[in-house]
Amino acid sequence: MARKISLSALTELPGNIWNSIFRNPLPSSDLGRAQTSFTNFFLHIHPVKVNRHTLKPWYTMGLGLITFFLFVILVFTGVLVMFYYVPSTNQAYDRMLDLRSTVAFGTFTRNMHRWAAHGMVAFVFLHMCRVFFTGAYKRPREFNWVLGIVLFLLTLFSSFTGYLLPWDQLAFWAITVGASIAGYAPVVGEQMRFLLLGDTTVGQEALLRFYVLHVAVLPLVITLLVAVHFWRIRKDGGLSRPPEAESEPGLSKETTAKVDLVEKPGEAFVTSAGKKHFGIQGLVRGPFTKVGNVPDNSVFAWPNLFMAELFVLILTIAGLCVLSLFFDAPLEEPVNITHPPNPAKAPWYFLGLQELVSYSAFWGGVGIPTIQVLLLLVVPYLDRDPRGVGRWFAGERLLANTLFLIFVIVNITLIIIGTLFRGPNWEFVSPW
Amino acid sequence: MTMKKRNEAPAEQTEGQLTRRRLLTWLSSVGIFGSALISLVANAFFIKPRATYGQPNRFSIGKPEEFPAGTRQALDGQRVCVIREGERVCAISTTCTHLGCIVAPSETGFACPCHGSRFDQDGNVTGGPAPKALAWYKVSLAPNGELEIDKGVEVKSGTYFNV
Repeated sequence: MARKISLSALTELPGNIWNSIFRNPLPSSDLGRAQTSFTNFFLHIHPVKVNRHTLKPWYTMGLGLITFFLFVILVFTGVLVMFYYVPSTNQAYDRMLDLRSTVAFGTFTRNMHRWAAHGMVAFVFLHMCRVFFTGAYKRPREFNWVLGIVLFLLTLFSSFTGYLLPWDQLAFWAITVGASIAGYAPVVGEQMRFLLLGDTTVGQEALLRFYVLHVAVLPLVITLLVAVHFWRIRKDGGLSRPPEAESEPGLSKETTAKVDLVEKPGEAFVTSAGKKHFGIQGLVRGPFTKVGNVPDNSVFAWPNLFMAELFVLILTIAGLCVLSLFFDAPLEEPVNITHPPNPAKAPWYFLGLQELVSYSAFWGGVGIPTIQVLLLLVVPYLDRDPRGVGRWFAGERLLANTLFLIFVIVNITLIIIGTLFRGPNWEFVSPW
Repeated sequence: MTMKKRNEAPAEQTEGQLTRRRLLTWLSSVGIFGSALISLVANAFFIKPRATYGQPNRFSIGKPEEFPAGTRQALDGQRVCVIREGERVCAISTTCTHLGCIVAPSETGFACPCHGSRFDQDGNVTGGPAPKALAWYKVSLAPNGELEIDKGVEVKSGTYFNV
């Protein structure tokens, strides 16, 4: 008897282990699809059902997702690079050379980290443009827009702190300039600069501080805020969409209204059309759900949303791998504190700032950027008109969209001027 | 008397009154948030270094004979340019007042490679975004007969040291 039991325990072992990890089989019913979404730790950040409008590829273009996936890749490749990196002015640059010459896949890993960092800055900006041009920041999503702006600034700061770590000429002089800009802030500027550098000039203390910020403090803060950002998407009612996206096409208003709701959890209700539906409140115990409790224009997250996300993930990884195979991350000469390169240029996304700084250090480095950020932060609190949400370039939002487009064009133009049209001594040169 | 009144009051009527529970809640909140605030200030003090490991502000550059009349020598490591005109010596900072790059001596004075600021022979701004003139530092003769520069003490532009 005992032997029989142990034998069956052995034969059923793989199945038992599998079932202990995954509580539900691959779903074949609506109940299963719902349970898969909210009983799996990694999937339960998703809603059980999403509106069809959310899944239209050209509405979001997956820009926010790409940003998030790039962040995940950055954490992954960043941890790998940490295994070899030493934040010391004597060793840092040599370690970068080692990474290129002796470490297996060292160049590729560093390339991925570098290009993903550039990509994250670019895509977080594009994502912001998408949110603005579709009016998605409006009530009730104002605070999520604010969180997004904070995440954008944290992304820039992460990138800035990472820039110093290779300890090459570009790193040293870009940070020297950047830290001096911080020094121009009124009242607290010099204090901030000293706290950031841990010394009066960029040196060992600054390298160590930037390293700690880059590998520990900023990733933690970003992870936390990204979690809140995602959580708010659901609690604010899912992605923004036009009002007409709420009702199911082909389902008359009369039918929608006549649905009898079932109070008991887990029970199906039958619409007057004879179709079987599960009320979401029947599946989720609790007082609060934003998903409609009548038949609406939504589909189950499994597999519709997950397939879309998987597609974006694969596209992101593929694009990044191709970039990293064909283009190597630059590494300039080791730091020479007596000879700044001429011109000394910051990373491209700061070149618009550097162009402004060449006119006035205070207004270019502190005044104008601060005003821009403050304006971005208050946008959803000033623009209270609920019209035009959920459509690209809605006619009702002509003024807001035009203003934002000017903001985008001005900044991109400044970056292009700083990148291509500035030569030695920051004098105007022609790239042709 | 007030104690008695408070004890007798039913729950709905204690709104706005200071009950024991509310007092304790207040005290705990002030305690917790107060500690958080104090620890924040303490953290700021912790992060601000009391000792730095960089270069000292005061350093000697050698005997006056090493800098003959007419010398205009930039010491990039110390970020200072030593100038001797006849028997007069001065030290002008080569850290750009704009954003901290090192300016290089040019025919007309100094030029910054980062954002194109230009200065004349005395460090006054002649062009570019630099907001103020290059600093002049105190020069003195140390007891061992060597010239000493103190970057901690700025002097007025045009203040020379006679050797």
